[in-house]
Amino acid sequence: MDISFALTGKGYVIVAADTTAAHSIIKVKLDEDKIKTLSPHLLMAYTGEPGDTVQFAEYIERNIRLYQIRNIYALRPPSAASWIRRSLADSLRSRKPYSVNLLLGGYDTSTHTPHLYWIDYLGTLASVPFAAHGYGSYFALSLLDRYHDPEASLEEGLATLRRCIDEVSKRLIVSPGKYKVKVVDKDGVRELDF
Amino acid sequence: MSIMEYNGGSVIAMVGKNCVAIASDLRLGVQSLGIASNFQKIFPVTDRIFVGLPGLATDVTTLHEQFRYRVNMYTIKEEREIEPETFAALVSSTLYERRFGPYFIEPVIAGMQRTPSGSYKPFIAATDLIGCLNFAKDFVVAGTASDKLFGVAEGLWEEDLGPEDLFETISQTMLNAVDRDTNSGWGVVVHLLTKDKVITRTLKGRMD
Amino acid sequence: MARRYDSRTTIFSPEGRLYQIEYAMEAISHAGTVLGVLAKDGIVLAAEKKVTGKLLDLSSAKQGGYGGSGEKIFLLNSNVVAGVAGITADANSLVNYARQAAQRHLYLYNEDIPVELLAQRLCDLKQGYTQYGGLRPFGVSLLYAGYDPHYHFQLYHSDPSGNYSGWKATCIGANNGTAQSLLKQEYKDDITMEDAIGLVLRVMSKTMDSTTLGSEKLEFATLTLDPATKTPKAKVYRPAEVDALLEKQGLGKKDEDTEMRAT
Repeated sequence: MDISFALTGKGYVIVAADTTAAHSIIKVKLDEDKIKTLSPHLLMAYTGEPGDTVQFAEYIERNIRLYQIRNIYALRPPSAASWIRRSLADSLRSRKPYSVNLLLGGYDTSTHTPHLYWIDYLGTLASVPFAAHGYGSYFALSLLDRYHDPEASLEEGLATLRRCIDEVSKRLIVSPGKYKVKVVDKDGVRELDF
Repeated sequence: MSIMEYNGGSVIAMVGKNCVAIASDLRLGVQSLGIASNFQKIFPVTDRIFVGLPGLATDVTTLHEQFRYRVNMYTIKEEREIEPETFAALVSSTLYERRFGPYFIEPVIAGMQRTPSGSYKPFIAATDLIGCLNFAKDFVVAGTASDKLFGVAEGLWEEDLGPEDLFETISQTMLNAVDRDTNSGWGVVVHLLTKDKVITRTLKGRMD
Repeated sequence: MARRYDSRTTIFSPEGRLYQIEYAMEAISHAGTVLGVLAKDGIVLAAEKKVTGKLLDLSSAKQGGYGGSGEKIFLLNSNVVAGVAGITADANSLVNYARQAAQRHLYLYNEDIPVELLAQRLCDLKQGYTQYGGLRPFGVSLLYAGYDPHYHFQLYHSDPSGNYSGWKATCIGANNGTAQSLLKQEYKDDITMEDAIGLVLRVMSKTMDSTTLGSEKLEFATLTLDPATKTPKAKVYRPAEVDALLEKQGLGKKDEDTEMRAT
């Protein structure tokens, strides 16, 4: 039931995820943060099987951090995406695969470009201008097809995100109430009041 | 629903006169939902070989990375580039390694094979998902639109097509076949190989 | 006295030295010179070949492969070229290790290995032989000329102890002292590739034993950025290209030399 969105703009990536933690039909928590900061310029929104999500996200977080400690610089977004994808692809053919879907948003400080990756639990990796996971994708992707602009300012990007969230609230029966929104750009990662 | 059709996508390769062509669509989907219209399924192996990997998208990436690793190690050890026939054997054995838990990919290989006399002859091949090779003289197809591709290619392909005619034939075959398949489309990329150069063109096609 | 501490690589002498490592470095200082200069838009690498002679079969260097004659300068990865000085057999083994390490990185992270990381990988291996007993250390120093998006063009040097350091211009092998003082005098920050090539060849011609430079004694390589794709482009010169370059720089064989040989 989790929903996550992400979109790129001029020099930034916005990543948004709902904040509900549910047990079957019961909401048990309303302020769960489902977006991890993997490195100074890398964000990862994770959704999927409860338990798997946090376990997998923490595994990734620690390993990305370890790489940064060992090698001074952090992995660049394309390399981090490749490594994370491989982790999921290997997991898929293991005894107990992780059931986790990811949106990876990053800013490459060496080439000054924003990157967004759509990754699913099978280990499918796609580099995209905008992306969504969960039921939200059925509403948001068509809206983003119409309104997304890769050259948009942050304000315009947030307005487009607002359209997606409003549409989900309007049309989806099991729509979540609250979203956490984070943005990554040349200055690093920050959370926005939304 | 077969797992081979989960993400969608199709590839075709054709032989011409002293040239070969390989083409694929650019769609990545999750069943009927489209995710990306820039998903690469054909990869350069050397200056004279391309491999197309239609099937489950996670395995497209996994196999591409694995083939790249193995070809690079081959190049280092042999101090020369791999030949299309040899690469086809590499593809076959890589897939058969996973005989009882296969990668869900049906690779298509297109290249210009160097002959002992020093000239080049067109080479195409395809395998099933466990690596059974099929060397064809005319064309090979794979992916969710493979049945449609067979039909159109059978009608359009002729022997000894020159580079420009071959390009037109493979492009029309691809565009018309994916229009009849819900899980393929969203743009087409065509690579045309002659003995000394590669021409790559992307075609718009129907974006719906 | 020294002999008691010689038999193993891993035993300190009372003065706190590892003799085997020092001997390995001594071996390198007799090897063919390797010179590297970092320019603002690329790197130049040159090396002196020791195994020469007209009976040596060089047919593989003239065609096939990626250039070079496979004695001193090797392509480790698409973004790194290395020059080696020391025991050639040991060097071949290290080159093979480096190429595998680079490919492993490409496989894991889908990017060319950062230059410093590759130097670290080799140094980890080399360091191992100063600590785990029973074996002799690698008698090889390397110069790594590479490019990565983090620090752009870089030049590193590593020695048999497993130490490595970054340089603007440096030299290993025979006469490295002379070469380094020449480099110190003549090197300028933000030197261009063209000037760097000239500098490297000038220094090489002064440090090498022979009076004239030629492709039978010299290996040469450059690393630049492809202007169209902005990706690193390594060029290891073939013998004919080395001669053409020397000709252009006015350091080629003089006519009288050819005449002398003819008589």
